[in-house]
Amino acid sequence: MRRVAASARTAVRTAWSGLRTSPVTSGVAVITIAVALLLVGAFALLVTNMERILDRFGEELRVSAYLAPGLAPEAQEALRARVADVPGVLSVALVTRDEALARFRESRVARAALLDGLEENPLPASLEVSLEPAERTREGLAALNDELADLPGIEELGYGHGWVEGYARALGVVRAAALALGLVLGLAALLIVANTIRLAVYARRDEIEILRLVGASRAFVAAPFVLEGLIQGLVGGLIALGLLALFHVALVPSLRGGMELLLGDVTPVFLAARGMLTLVLGGAALGALGSAAALVQGES
Amino acid sequence: MRPRDDDAAHPGAGALVRLFHVSKSYQAGSWALRDVSLELAKGEFAFLTGPSGAGKSTLMRLVFAAEQPSEGQILVLGRNVSRIRPSAIPALRRRVGVVFQDFKLLPRRTVEANVALALEVVGTPTRQVRSRVFTMLKRVGLQHRRYHHPLSLSGGEQQRLALARALVTEPEVLLADEPTGNLDPDLTLEIMDLIVDAAARGTAVFVATHDHALIERYGRRHLHLEDGRLVQDTPGRGHRP
Ligand SMILES: Nc1ncnc2c1ncn2[C@@H]1O[C@H](COP(=O)(O)OP(=O)(O)O)[C@@H](O)[C@H]1O
Ligand SMILES: [Mg+2]
Repeated sequence: MRRVAASARTAVRTAWSGLRTSPVTSGVAVITIAVALLLVGAFALLVTNMERILDRFGEELRVSAYLAPGLAPEAQEALRARVADVPGVLSVALVTRDEALARFRESRVARAALLDGLEENPLPASLEVSLEPAERTREGLAALNDELADLPGIEELGYGHGWVEGYARALGVVRAAALALGLVLGLAALLIVANTIRLAVYARRDEIEILRLVGASRAFVAAPFVLEGLIQGLVGGLIALGLLALFHVALVPSLRGGMELLLGDVTPVFLAARGMLTLVLGGAALGALGSAAALVQGES
Repeated sequence: MRPRDDDAAHPGAGALVRLFHVSKSYQAGSWALRDVSLELAKGEFAFLTGPSGAGKSTLMRLVFAAEQPSEGQILVLGRNVSRIRPSAIPALRRRVGVVFQDFKLLPRRTVEANVALALEVVGTPTRQVRSRVFTMLKRVGLQHRRYHHPLSLSGGEQQRLALARALVTEPEVLLADEPTGNLDPDLTLEIMDLIVDAAARGTAVFVATHDHALIERYGRRHLHLEDGRLVQDTPGRGHRP
């Protein structure tokens, strides 16, 4: 136990002096990691916001179930409760005939003249069903359709197929692109970092050889390098996070105007706590892995 | 006969280093060592001589498993070095002290840290490292230089530093490759006395040298290599353990 503790102390001390005595190489590694993570982070930020926008669209995606005329208010309410229990349904809102008429009157297409001639409200009551995010697909919609079509009291279902498919496809594309690009960026970052650290290992190959000659185990030789990589990665990750936050704060006001015009009230968000943590820890992992890879490569 | 580890029944079982018909070839067609057999017992001290390129350094490199023999078997401290697992090499090297011909000091660490290295690789507790390093530096007369860096030392001081690092672990085998090459006669004797002292404490010692006066003076066992062959093995004068 004391030996392990002593070895750990030695590794920390060696890593620290390695960082101190080669500030240029360390700096290059830190900056490389920071730049790589800044790219990954910026991309993650973009994807997060795109998903949010798509989610908003998704929330507005509703299926209208038009109710049979003459259904008593209690029966309408019972039907609402029944539909709310259908699996995959997020929420159900009852729109009475009067409400439907009021909405129509407010809408832009309504012309007062069009309604003035009518003695009676021609609009049916309806249930507005929103789906859980995972169900916002063609299959989810078909399942809902099956569930609702046979319910007594429901006359007709209305929804835009095109809408749903477009939404699902857009979300699928964004996620697949995010995954693919994230992987490519991550891999590129790992290679660049491994290469940078390989130079540091190469610069110290004499030291490594001497350590081996006096009986150092592989772990003893590797530990300070991996620790150094870890620290460099941590610092690089923090720098990337700081820069990302800076850009975000600087750019959001100018972005918001344009986005509001296009998408309504959508405020760009920053990465969630988990995303930030992932970025910084990802940097540490990148540094440590890069060092390990460089060492393995250096041995052969 | 296949040599076995720790074969007590075998003649020369007390030997810490045993070579059986060892040959080493770095390039096909040329031999750095040819059919060398020898044994070195606990506390035994042997000079190794021979012209440049005779194979002295190669013999030492084989003993601390920096090279594998092309033919034959080598037993060091009961381990068969000719088929040692790479993961077992560090443990062997910690029991073998080596003074390299080119010292192999770490230029970016202090004198003290260079000696400490040999203890740190075994995970020796820090406090113990400090006191043992200090004692060792005093023995080689470098205690006043302990915060200097190796490159600011003279050739002779670097050589003494290399010896300090090799001896600080109290190794069971010491290999010194021309350890007095850069020293003036007075320092040479001081260094040699340290090495002889290590042998007296039970370390098996090989010293490669060109200095025939030393061999005369110390009267120890003398192995002479020529062209990779062991051509002469003269016992010491009354020093055989
Ligand atoms: N790493 C190596 N690669 C190829 N040849 C080597 C290597 N090391 C030593 N030799 C050759 O092996 C022979 C013995 O060398 P060495 O053991 O260094 O001799 P010495 O130490 O007695 O001067 C020489 O011919 C030398 O050129
Ligand atoms: Mg030599």
